Amino acid sequence: MAGLSNYRFWAYAGLAVLLLALPLVGDEFWLNRVAKYLCYGMLGAAVALTWGYAGVLNLGQGLFFGIGAYAMAMSLKLQSYTSLQQGSDTPVPDFMLWNAQPGAPTDLCCITPGSWIWLPFQWQWTGVIVAVILPAVLAGIMGRIIFGQRISGVFVSIITLALVLLVRLVVTDAQPLTNGFNGLTDLGWLTVFSHEFDPYAKGTYYLVAVALIAVLAAARILVATRAGTILQATRDSDTRALYLGYDVPAYQTFFFAVSAAIAGLAGMLYVIVSEFASPSFLELSFSITMVVWAAVGGRGSILGAAVGAILINMIEARVSETEALVEAWKAIIGILFVVTVIYLPKGLSGLAHDGMARLRARRPSFQLKEEAGQ
Amino acid sequence: MTAALTLDGLAVDFSGFRAVDGVSMAVEQGELRVLLGANGAGKTTLMDLISGKTRATEGKVLVQGRDVTGLREHRIARAGVGRKFQIPSVFSGLTVRQNLEVAQSKRPSVWSNLRFALGMSEKARLAEVLELIGLGAEAEREAGLLSHGQTQWLELGMLMIQDASVILLDEPTAGMTQGETAKTAEIINRLKGRHTLLVVEHDMAFVRDIAERITVLHLGRVLAEGSVAFIENHPEVKAAYLGKQGIA
Ligand SMILES: Nc1ncnc2c1ncn2[C@@H]1O[C@H](COP(=O)(O)OP(=O)(O)OP(=O)(O)O)[C@@H](O)[C@H]1O
Ligand SMILES: [Mg+2]
Repeated sequence: MAGLSNYRFWAYAGLAVLLLALPLVGDEFWLNRVAKYLCYGMLGAAVALTWGYAGVLNLGQGLFFGIGAYAMAMSLKLQSYTSLQQGSDTPVPDFMLWNAQPGAPTDLCCITPGSWIWLPFQWQWTGVIVAVILPAVLAGIMGRIIFGQRISGVFVSIITLALVLLVRLVVTDAQPLTNGFNGLTDLGWLTVFSHEFDPYAKGTYYLVAVALIAVLAAARILVATRAGTILQATRDSDTRALYLGYDVPAYQTFFFAVSAAIAGLAGMLYVIVSEFASPSFLELSFSITMVVWAAVGGRGSILGAAVGAILINMIEARVSETEALVEAWKAIIGILFVVTVIYLPKGLSGLAHDGMARLRARRPSFQLKEEAGQ
Repeated sequence: MTAALTLDGLAVDFSGFRAVDGVSMAVEQGELRVLLGANGAGKTTLMDLISGKTRATEGKVLVQGRDVTGLREHRIARAGVGRKFQIPSVFSGLTVRQNLEVAQSKRPSVWSNLRFALGMSEKARLAEVLELIGLGAEAEREAGLLSHGQTQWLELGMLMIQDASVILLDEPTAGMTQGETAKTAEIINRLKGRHTLLVVEHDMAFVRDIAERITVLHLGRVLAEGSVAFIENHPEVKAAYLGKQGIA
């Protein structure tokens, strides 16, 4: 296939096999944890798509993850026994009862101001669909405005950063609607054809693993199309692309929206696995952490950024088991970031890439030596 | 037959300063027109006006008879105007081949480019252009690793494969060695006929190599227009260049 050389294909295939084989070696508790990291892996890929391929550093990727998470959590909250306990015909989230004005009807339509927004989420698939579509649509609108104005570079980062903080403020402020700082907890399980996705069951791990593999493959194929090449062209010189007749903002917006959809999907799956959605997803530190994952793994590589995210989180989990290292870990991550940015701008995947290239260049001489030896 | 490129009273006002001040000219199909003028005469600004980088405050630009005045840059490009900037610009992170592929795409929308393969005729054309610009051996190299001259040729190749009917070249030999300049003249001469060219150039030896007709700009206006010999002996042109290095 165009642009997909052999060892790249095997790298993807290798990861797929590894992910699908993990349940053979780990227990459910560990798999649940890994499933969360796989969601982070999706985030890494989403960041690589915009940062590495489009040259657009989104410092508010957490916004799309957060929307995906909250949309799914709203639906799962209404499936939860805590919402069904109230004795009303329609389920009502428990926190709304505590936040309701005295005398307000115990109904989703009007128990708290704006609570009707929750109504469509009684259907579980609303959560699933909104989690992916809303980030894409929102990114499409943002992209049209930002890129249409020929805004680029650090200004895009500042705008996206400001936006995620703004939304976080709104979410934490709207206590009667979102449960504010506490986020949405005590969620029900996703149910598909009467199969319940118990977060600690292997089926749920497979759901996430297969989703990650599909996302990575789709994203890799997407950047290998002509549109992907043109996107990279706009990254290198948007004027040159413009004067070749390309509507540069349209390309940037399209891939920005794809990246947002991936982040939304990641947020949705994360909620299924972790059973909560929290405004901490909208914190700046989280969005910046994603950028670090992608930088260390290699922003020029979809696979590299995803693997970077997964590995860093696995190591972090190990490290945090040792009390003394918990604080030191933040410093380690910071140093790791600085070192990769300075010495390894293409990240670990760049290192692997160069290694492969060197190996290839060498191979003929190896063969010569062997033949001479015989 | 309509001219390939027609400028009609084109002018731009930079808050009081008229860098281009009522330029009218017509460049015929397949012609190569050289634009001469001292530093600051308004040559680059004129190209900015044609390609849509800067909006004209007065006048009109017609490409193949079609009015493109005031359109956005990528729309003007699609109307058939290709442009090379004074500072060479290619896609440095892509290979030479990918650079040409990007330039080649006939359909500009995102959706129509969600596909892989080039057609047979496209592949053949790409190979042909690679040969023309002498970068056949560099096809799989990253464009950022090319020499200055090679970068310029790649950009010329991109304009060829883009199949623009009107090509604007701003100082295509700037910073080149003599050998590179000669090769560039050769490439440009091949473009003649198939494309209509407007070329800004200072190097008179190079101009004699490629030019048919010359238009001289001075302070944003057309000072003279004619054959190479006519321009070289034109008293007003000589006067305009006086005190500079002279026209030869
Ligand atoms: N955006 C702008 N705003 C104000 N003045 C401008 C602008 N662009 C160009 N100028 C002025 O217009 C004049 C013409 O500039 P232009 O770059 O077109 O000259 P040129 O003929 O290309 O010169 P050179 O041979 O040095 O490239 C210059 O005096 C320049 O300072
Ligand atoms: Mg100039």
